Amino acid sequence: MNTVATYLRVPYRAGAIRLSIGTLVLMVLASIIFLPGFLAGENLSNLLAQSTTLVISALGQTFVILTGGLDVSVGSIISVTTAIMTLDMPPFVRVLLCIAVATTFGLVNGYGVARLNVHPIIMTLATMGIGQGLALIILPIPGGRVPDWLSMSVAGSIGPLPNALVWLVVASLVAAWILYRRPFGLYLFAAGGNEFNARMNGVPVERTIMNAYVLSALFACAAGMFLAGRLASGDPKGGAAFGIESVTAAALGGVHLAGGIGSIFGTVVGAAILGLVNNVMNLANVSAFLQSVAKGALLLVLVVSQRRKTIGL
Amino acid sequence: MTTANSKPSAPSSSFNVKRAVFWIIGLPPAYYVLAILIAVAPAVSATLINPNYWFVILKQSAPLGIAVLAQSLVMRVRSIDLSVSGVFAFAIYVASSGLLNSYPPLLTVAMPIVVGLLVGVINGVLVAYVRASAVISTLSVSAILIGVVQYMSAGRAPGSTPTWLRVLTSGNIHGLSYSVIIWIATSVLVAAAFRFLIVGRYFRAVGDNPRAAETTGIPLARTIFVSHVTAGVLTGIAALVQVSALAVGTIKPGFDTFMNALAATILGGVTFGVDRGGVAGPFVAVVAFSFLFAMLTVFGIQEPGKLIVQGLIIALAAIIYGTRAGRI
Repeated sequence: MNTVATYLRVPYRAGAIRLSIGTLVLMVLASIIFLPGFLAGENLSNLLAQSTTLVISALGQTFVILTGGLDVSVGSIISVTTAIMTLDMPPFVRVLLCIAVATTFGLVNGYGVARLNVHPIIMTLATMGIGQGLALIILPIPGGRVPDWLSMSVAGSIGPLPNALVWLVVASLVAAWILYRRPFGLYLFAAGGNEFNARMNGVPVERTIMNAYVLSALFACAAGMFLAGRLASGDPKGGAAFGIESVTAAALGGVHLAGGIGSIFGTVVGAAILGLVNNVMNLANVSAFLQSVAKGALLLVLVVSQRRKTIGL
Repeated sequence: MTTANSKPSAPSSSFNVKRAVFWIIGLPPAYYVLAILIAVAPAVSATLINPNYWFVILKQSAPLGIAVLAQSLVMRVRSIDLSVSGVFAFAIYVASSGLLNSYPPLLTVAMPIVVGLLVGVINGVLVAYVRASAVISTLSVSAILIGVVQYMSAGRAPGSTPTWLRVLTSGNIHGLSYSVIIWIATSVLVAAAFRFLIVGRYFRAVGDNPRAAETTGIPLARTIFVSHVTAGVLTGIAALVQVSALAVGTIKPGFDTFMNALAATILGGVTFGVDRGGVAGPFVAVVAFSFLFAMLTVFGIQEPGKLIVQGLIIALAAIIYGTRAGRI
């Protein structure tokens, strides 16, 4: 018999998602009660636009974290994408180039981790440096101009729905489809949960890990395109913060950094919490300089509350 | 007689040659990088082989060298410390903002070390006893420290660092800066601890296989806690040396330091649970990195090129180790 409790049951592999949802709900309620301007259309639109880049990059990051890895090169891929989108080329070529570069980064990361046995942090740290250098070579200083259609696709709206929301929903649905409706999703949970057992059961672990890094890079590419559209220009260091923030968002959403546990919904919630912290503090006129302290403290509290079985990264 | 005498010694010498070859092949990539750089240096610029220039390189490398020593300690036990940037930012701001001007100078010297110690204790408790993720918890601590610095400074650059403290970098014994002497002394102390104290064996055992180490009675959590606390103190010393090397304080130091520290540690043959480089490997790696960047500057290569070269070196070093010895 389906009871309310059955519907509310969260699968173990979704992680500590209840805690994340509870935190988000509390933050939203407190914001509505104490901050009069919170529900204003302009504020919500800003909040959405500011959070979408983070959500998209964190969704890609989730695939990698589920394998037990980390992809800190996400930020550099975002920066390279914004830089490429300002190049003097036909828009179609720019998009193809962005996808090709992101796929190459993903393949290099995946090959290094899965086939050459390099630790994920080290491998992606190396490509992070290479990507950042590449972005600075393509576009030494922030500026340039992205195609108009890209700016329009980010800034406009479809009826009452802001385009940023469409980007966010489409990215989330694609990620959810890959994770929950494809065998690859199951392989991810299996490989991240116990690599040896997964291998014994016929899961193509190496290929799964490589695909996870390619997906992470492609989502970072999409995040970069969104950021370029929002800024209407390129920024060679604009994505730098997202490398770590995407990991943070996923961790806030209950995705275990040890791998095998996490969910797409959790990551979206985690990214929303992170975006909300900035927005609420701006509305409350809290010093911008204290935002880093608040984010760090919140993260610490949430991570401490997710005690793991093993000690480590 | 001659034949009889020479026969037993033949296998032994060939064995030694084989061992020597394997030893050379097994050296961390940092040694090869440094050897190549030294070999090509005379062709690039005569300045690069001037002994005085090497003293300058060593002096500039000292803060990074001590930070690398700290990072290598936690990486040996399969952990990581991303709070380096936060400790550096906090120590540099407090020392250069004049907050401690009315107190005895000893407090300015002790402050970075105490901050490092406290951060190390917090990191150690979070990682070892609370079992929080090392990446996220040390990153959070760093974010809090940087946020506090930004709030206290309101985004403005602080003033000058104390003049008397600069002697730590500018003073020297036979051309060797005090800061380099501190770097060498801390490295020797850590190497001696690894060689002669039981904690060195604990570190190695935990790095090799944490579960096996715990099963055999090694205090896993305590070993990881000690690694973080020691790393915190060393990071504090590195921050003190960095303060002494600056004329004017800044509120945005550090990310490069963290990146370079991680890169040099890997290049020096110390990665998560792998300790092939010992203490000397990371030391050589720091020198190699500083020398490489100096050479790139001579070639007129700017920041983007340096980032790419740095990334390529990390990737190559990691791939070489990865293919040789399983996951690193």
